[in-house]
Amino acid sequence: MFDWLTTSWLWLTQNWLYIAVPLLVFLATWVVGLWVRRFAYRAFNRWVVGKWEGSQLVIRATRAPFIHWFMILGAYIAIQVSKLDSSGKILADKILASLLVFSLTWVAVSLSIKIMKLYIGKVPRLQHSEPLMLNIVRIVFAVVGALILLDIWGAPTTPIILLLAAAILVAALAFRDVLANLFSGFQLAQGGQIKVGDFIKLESGESGYVTDVSWRSTQIRMLDGNLIMVPNSRLLQSTIINYGRPLRKATKPFHFYTHLHLKELTGLKAGNLTDLAKILKQVPDAVVYYHTHSFLEEHHYLIPEPANDFALWVNDELGNEVLGEQLASIDTFDFTSISALRARIEGVINDYLSKNPDGRTAHEGQEFYFIKSTSFVLPTPYIAHDLREFVEVLRQVSLNSLSYHIFEARLRLKKGVNDFSTWIEDYLGDKDLADRLAYLDPYNYTLEGLRSAIIQFIEKRIK
Amino acid sequence: MKDRIYLQSRSRLHDYEPIVGKSSLEELDALAGKLSGKIIQIINSTFVGGGVAEILEHMVPLLNQLGVDARWDVINGNEEFFEVTKKFHNALHGKHEKISPEDFALFSEVTERNLEEMKFYGDYFFIHDPQPVALIAKKKEVGKRWVWRCHIDVSNPDKKVWKFLRDFVVDYDAAIFSSPNFAQRLPIRQFLVTPSIDPLSDKNKELDSATIDSVLKKYGLTSSKPMIVQISRFDRLKDPLGVIEAFDIVRKNIDCQLVLAGGTATDDPESGDVLEEVRQRAENNPDIHVLLLPPESDIDINALQRAATIIIQKSLKEGFGLTISEALWKAKPVVASAVGGIPLQVRNKLTGLLCYTVEGAAYDLKQLLSNPEYAKWLGQNGREHVKHNFLVTSHLKNYLLVFLSLDQHSDVINL
Repeated sequence: MFDWLTTSWLWLTQNWLYIAVPLLVFLATWVVGLWVRRFAYRAFNRWVVGKWEGSQLVIRATRAPFIHWFMILGAYIAIQVSKLDSSGKILADKILASLLVFSLTWVAVSLSIKIMKLYIGKVPRLQHSEPLMLNIVRIVFAVVGALILLDIWGAPTTPIILLLAAAILVAALAFRDVLANLFSGFQLAQGGQIKVGDFIKLESGESGYVTDVSWRSTQIRMLDGNLIMVPNSRLLQSTIINYGRPLRKATKPFHFYTHLHLKELTGLKAGNLTDLAKILKQVPDAVVYYHTHSFLEEHHYLIPEPANDFALWVNDELGNEVLGEQLASIDTFDFTSISALRARIEGVINDYLSKNPDGRTAHEGQEFYFIKSTSFVLPTPYIAHDLREFVEVLRQVSLNSLSYHIFEARLRLKKGVNDFSTWIEDYLGDKDLADRLAYLDPYNYTLEGLRSAIIQFIEKRIK
Repeated sequence: MKDRIYLQSRSRLHDYEPIVGKSSLEELDALAGKLSGKIIQIINSTFVGGGVAEILEHMVPLLNQLGVDARWDVINGNEEFFEVTKKFHNALHGKHEKISPEDFALFSEVTERNLEEMKFYGDYFFIHDPQPVALIAKKKEVGKRWVWRCHIDVSNPDKKVWKFLRDFVVDYDAAIFSSPNFAQRLPIRQFLVTPSIDPLSDKNKELDSATIDSVLKKYGLTSSKPMIVQISRFDRLKDPLGVIEAFDIVRKNIDCQLVLAGGTATDDPESGDVLEEVRQRAENNPDIHVLLLPPESDIDINALQRAATIIIQKSLKEGFGLTISEALWKAKPVVASAVGGIPLQVRNKLTGLLCYTVEGAAYDLKQLLSNPEYAKWLGQNGREHVKHNFLVTSHLKNYLLVFLSLDQHSDVINL
């Protein structure tokens, strides 16, 4: 025991300089590090204070590691001045270089993530992509750090780099759409052409409000309530119309309905005017509605302001052009109830008969057949919350839907005015527009023409 | 009972979207949803030949695509039975037929056999035309809703035959006719549903000019002369001899050709005789072409209609006359008799010209041959008319509405 102590003491007294010098060098470097950090951080603070909000992040992330790096530098110089043999020095250098790389990588990852979080937090549209972006940064720094470490320890890095390059290439090819969408998303974010809340119309015809813009896709709430996700790359490549921010919302949305008609044969027929007037008096309202609107609905593409079936039959089958004209000139738009319309038609026929007893009879098979219209009312998926949505839905709904809200609602459902005017006045408070639509005589248009006329009225108002 | 056939539609519902619009398909979908879980058993007399089979062939798969469980069965009948039902058919059209008590007995006997052999499993029974009408006897046993679909012009039926059939019809929940003037005094509800064409079928789809030319070549026809075409099976009620008479009048002043093309149906034993008469009448006139088309000739018919300058349908009686819809869909000017359901399709001077006599038909043909712009305008209007009213999608809609209406009696029904 004492021999060992004696031998060690003897060695120290003879070689104390070999230990003391490296130790002093190490301590001196450490002190210099502390001093440099103090002045460097003061200068940095003076330079960036009030100029960049990320300065404190840099300081917090590097403050402790800064001293570590000087300690590693001190250790390196100490080893160089020590009496270690060359193989020992090489080994020590590699360890110190590895520690430095590890520390730098750690700091780079930590600092990058903190700075990215700082900025992503300020841009809502990027928040969905935050985990993805942070993971990419972590992976990139980790891979670079690992490659440098492998190089330090003499491992062959070229095959690994080639392998990585190939993997990146394959991934880029496999995920080229994703990458395209990412870049497109970045362009959208930078350009600000499309924002959440905008009403847009796509080249393919779909339209709706933008509810989300992420890096990969843009989410749109369509007029039928469905959500569609459009890849950003497609969005950038296609022509879109951006109508901008929503218009004033109605206090209650407009639900579009449609109606479908089934024709029911009554078995009643008239061969002359007297029978026509007599049967007309008895039949249900649904029969009168059918015969005053069937030509309009079945031949809506053909002639605006079509005659009612009574006028056509009197003219074509009885050959009575005078009465035919009188019946055709009854303006259905003047009436807000079927009973009043029926009374008017009856009145015209009876007036004529009282002055001109008409004995003409239709040929067999050409009699007037009374048909009843049964209306089936169905909700559609389309809902409008404002005039922009309303006009876009109006472009898409069937002519049956248009006919339901304009003709059936006003006359058959006894509302006295069309549904569109009611909604615009009651729930959007736009009496002027409501009146314009209410005074529009729908019987003067083909159904497609009527659709266009209403759309034009509303678009003018929106502008 | 004959084997039930399971049809694979050649067309998908969404294929119709470019033609009828998305909203029409949405409406169909909404209606079909209301019949979810119900089985519609469709029964008629044949899977092949004639307008009814042709409609069902397209309609059943489309109903299935909509989620409606529609299944198609046919009754079993021998040649004698179909001869009797052919007489019924003619008599309902108003033609005088000698129908003996034995004929009625045979009809009842075959019906009895079918009642025993067939399986009745539907929630709705949809019976087409007179051949299976007496199956209604099963209603007492199975209940459910029964609808009789009459495709025939019964505006002026033979009273004896109609009385015989009426006793069955009155037990149905509803009857469907193709034209308002077919309606009868019945204690049941009667609906008006027009038949339809399928715009995507071989008979109606677009064809390129090479296909049309090859069909013309196949039948030895030339496109250098105006072509008047009547497509219908060889049946006296289609008046092919009257068409030849009208053509002879026109041919005196205008160089043109006439094509009478059609086939036969398994339930029509008279076709052969009529064809022979027509051939004899036409044999000395090289401008008249009588073409007997086999059952699978839809592309040929399509090509002939598209090659036609004018399409004529001079029927003496007609159920609905789907060949008119086919012609109008191809935007062809049409001259047609004002019978049956034809006036529903041809609004005189708006979507075509209506005639009543041979002379009237000849006059109309000359008018159109001499005024191609007017003919074109009529044809374009006709196509629009068919698009909005006589396509298979409208037909589907109407049938769905009929089923949905059976338990509703209000004029406005909220679904």
